[in-house]
Amino acid sequence: MSYVLSLLIALPLAAAPFVYLAARVNRRLGIYFSLGLAVVVLLIAGYVFWEVYSQVPAMPPGTYVLQEKYSWISFASFSLNYFLGVDGLSSPLIFVSALLTVLVIVGSRKLIDHHEAEYYSLIFVFEGAIMGVFTSLDLILFYIFWEVVLIPMFFFIGVWGGPRRKYAAMKFIIFTFAGSTIMLLGFLYFYMGMPSPSFDIPTIDAMLQAHQIPVGLEYLPLLASFIGFAVKLPLVPFHTWLPDAHVEAPSPISVLLAGVLLKMGGYGFLRISIGLFPDASAQYAWVFLALGLFSMFYGAVAALLQSDLKKMIAFTSINHMGFVLFGAYATMISGSYLGIQGAIFQMFAHALAVGSLFMLSGYVQHQAGTREIPLLKGLGTTMPRTAAILVLASAAAMGLPPFASFLAEFMVIVAGISAYALTAVSILVPVITAGYFLWMIRRTVLSPAEPGNDAHDMGWSDVGAFAVYLVPLVILLIASYLILSPALPVAQFLRGLP
Amino acid sequence: MIDYLTLTVGLLAGTGLFLPLLQVFQTGRENLAGYVLALVLSAALVFIGLFTLHPTSVPWAGSLIKPDQMGGVFALVTVGVSLAVTVASFDYLKSASKPVYYSLLSFAALGMVLLSYSQDLLMLFVSWELMSLPTYVLAGFDKKTHSNEASVKYAIIGAMSSAVILYAISLAYGLTGSTQISAVVAGFTSHPSALAGVATLLFVAGFSFKMSIVPFHMWIPDAYEGAPTTISTLLAAATKKAGFIAAIRVLLVITTLYAVTGSPLFTMANVFAVLAVVTMTVGNISALTQKSMTRLLAYSSIAQAGYILIGFVAFANAPGSSAAILGLTGTVFHVINHAVMKGVAFLAAALVTLQLKRADLKAYDGLGKRMPITAFTLAVAFLGLAGVPPLSGFWSKLILVLSVANGPYGWLALAAILNSAFSLGYYAWIIKRMYMDPAESAERVKEPFWFVLIFAIMVGLIIGIGLFPQQVINLASNAVTSFAG
Repeated sequence: MSYVLSLLIALPLAAAPFVYLAARVNRRLGIYFSLGLAVVVLLIAGYVFWEVYSQVPAMPPGTYVLQEKYSWISFASFSLNYFLGVDGLSSPLIFVSALLTVLVIVGSRKLIDHHEAEYYSLIFVFEGAIMGVFTSLDLILFYIFWEVVLIPMFFFIGVWGGPRRKYAAMKFIIFTFAGSTIMLLGFLYFYMGMPSPSFDIPTIDAMLQAHQIPVGLEYLPLLASFIGFAVKLPLVPFHTWLPDAHVEAPSPISVLLAGVLLKMGGYGFLRISIGLFPDASAQYAWVFLALGLFSMFYGAVAALLQSDLKKMIAFTSINHMGFVLFGAYATMISGSYLGIQGAIFQMFAHALAVGSLFMLSGYVQHQAGTREIPLLKGLGTTMPRTAAILVLASAAAMGLPPFASFLAEFMVIVAGISAYALTAVSILVPVITAGYFLWMIRRTVLSPAEPGNDAHDMGWSDVGAFAVYLVPLVILLIASYLILSPALPVAQFLRGLP
Repeated sequence: MIDYLTLTVGLLAGTGLFLPLLQVFQTGRENLAGYVLALVLSAALVFIGLFTLHPTSVPWAGSLIKPDQMGGVFALVTVGVSLAVTVASFDYLKSASKPVYYSLLSFAALGMVLLSYSQDLLMLFVSWELMSLPTYVLAGFDKKTHSNEASVKYAIIGAMSSAVILYAISLAYGLTGSTQISAVVAGFTSHPSALAGVATLLFVAGFSFKMSIVPFHMWIPDAYEGAPTTISTLLAAATKKAGFIAAIRVLLVITTLYAVTGSPLFTMANVFAVLAVVTMTVGNISALTQKSMTRLLAYSSIAQAGYILIGFVAFANAPGSSAAILGLTGTVFHVINHAVMKGVAFLAAALVTLQLKRADLKAYDGLGKRMPITAFTLAVAFLGLAGVPPLSGFWSKLILVLSVANGPYGWLALAAILNSAFSLGYYAWIIKRMYMDPAESAERVKEPFWFVLIFAIMVGLIIGIGLFPQQVINLASNAVTSFAG
């Protein structure tokens, strides 16, 4: 039995107190220690990614690698396992979470200036919990990590956030906690209704394939889990916490929020909503498809109307995460595997593209003193390097060809069209997205500079950090098989369930 | 050889009798009585632990006492809380008559131990009074107006609940000719009569006063606020649990309500379900609007009583089913967890009141800076009470909700889940105050050794049980097996 996944979870969690101590002793020591630790976790995540890439495509769909399973609690009719495993759905998310953690620590050096010891140690609590969410194969274990993620995020927003940070933190925690407890109730209802109760996802899947679980049992849990995941994704109209949280959160935390936390919603829809309640999901797939489509349009149009750069990027996230739901359920209707493959690819691409944009908005605010698009003038002349990165990151978010987001959105739209021809209207979403990004660039980068503006540009080391966000997107367009080939068995397996 | 339970009873009774003598012979060491009681309670904890592991018959008690593990768990919880209260009182208590205070505490602990094991209604009533009477005095121990008011209010309501229970006992004796609980139940079952139904409901009402079940809860916030906060701890974390063991012993075995009325709506399970949902909802909504910490904790404690009742519903709905076993295990487990979490939350509030000389919520602004250990303790306890994993409160709530998740009481599970989410509104709000709001003054406040020691142990329990719940679940599960077979 391998212990890699446990290490992936336990290392950041166990190291968090030491990060705190190191940063209390010396600020620089704390940051370098954090950075080193995050790189080690990234290497482990890279190993996990590679294992999945090299093993999973050759295995039958629905197989998890690097499994670990121990009995945790068992009494009377209740049994619960500590059960971990990964497949082509979780490995890209694990990798991108570890990568973003490294980049967030790099970006935080300049943007976080108080309570640093607490900040860096909470980053690792967050990272460990996220790894737990993406590797758990037991529903209760999954729920536990899911909830633990909330605690550091509550403090990130509430302690290091902007002027209305406390309101945003409370709104965030109550929204997401309410959503996830309802999801938990769905799991419990499902468990008590099963002929031989189990919380293990592979065991439940085996029972599903053997038609041992009555279809009627799936509807309420599907609804409950939908609420939990829709709040996280977020799906309109469950999204109202997101703009508040993003606007108030410090920029590095926005990167984690958009790049990692939202992925939990997309992951949950694929792994749980479709993976455990497939018949009910297939039956109501058109509803989810429509909700995804609506979210895509809503996010895009709302982004168009924002004058705050960061709020604009926040709505872009809603728009992009709509693609994930849209793609996932397009596969359930049409049988085209492109939808789920595209959804997984989109989650990876969105994490890096929007992550870079959020970090950039932090730099812009730090250097220019504002995030208001109408007030940011002449970035092209005053801050040429920042402006260049802004243009490239926008291109990545728009889905322009050298970046992988292009392929992801293309796949999802193709799968949508093969489900219902009418959904071809979704092609307008990237058009609107390109529209508001280009308009933003015209106003900020291409406008004439105001006299007397002495904003400082970012240094070359920061440019290097941003390259780490964007270069993988270009590589992945060429080497898309790295993600798409392990994602194919996931799509086949999920499509084959109902 | 003398058995451990007899040893415990003798030790606590002897200590209670002996301690006031220290008042007469003032030795100059004013905390001596407290140290003695702490040692005695520690010994009692060990003895009860041993007794729970190796139950023996208790010859002198005849059929009054049932030495099972269910009683053991409740005795452990109540004595444990009494010990924590004693240790916290070393620093908290500012009084000229400390030995009397500790002596009363000793008698209350004795009452709770006996109550945990009672299987006879008379024994139950006597130990109920032995537990209650000292706490009436203790609630007014501050000798301030609001403390006295709390004490009087508590004593009047307490006397009323005792009267109700006594009336129910007299009805039961009149109907069945016995005070033995099993004989009473057998009599009720074989001859269901309207009076048996009345007696049952009177038991529900009488015990509900102590269990803080709505609508029998109105004395709770006033008493908890007015009493010395250490005594509020005892009331919330220990005597309330004693109310639950009495209810388990008596109410869970009575199944005659349906036989009496013949209406499928009027069953014990439905009575418990309605009480549970009303209690948790009223508790949580009221907690949200409180301005003082002790009142907030009091209402949160009421809400938690509602969760504990869920196990009663599952058990009464289908006795012997797997859901019933799950539910009652959840009840016992949540009793243990709630005692730890609410106990430490009250003690943290006691320390804040002691050091900052105020009890309103404003005192908690920026507490993370001023009293970091206390603030952390409160944060952990609150997250545990809200049911955030992986803390101990999560598991017991999970088991409770699971027991009714799929079946006729699914709505109760939904209500409990929504209440949990709602309760985070005030728990997280206090955490926000402690860590995100600016303090009135930045100076560090002293956190005395004894308090810090208790905080460390209790927080260790909340997190430890959260990560490795199996052992404590086994304890609860064995208790349920010993009770329900």
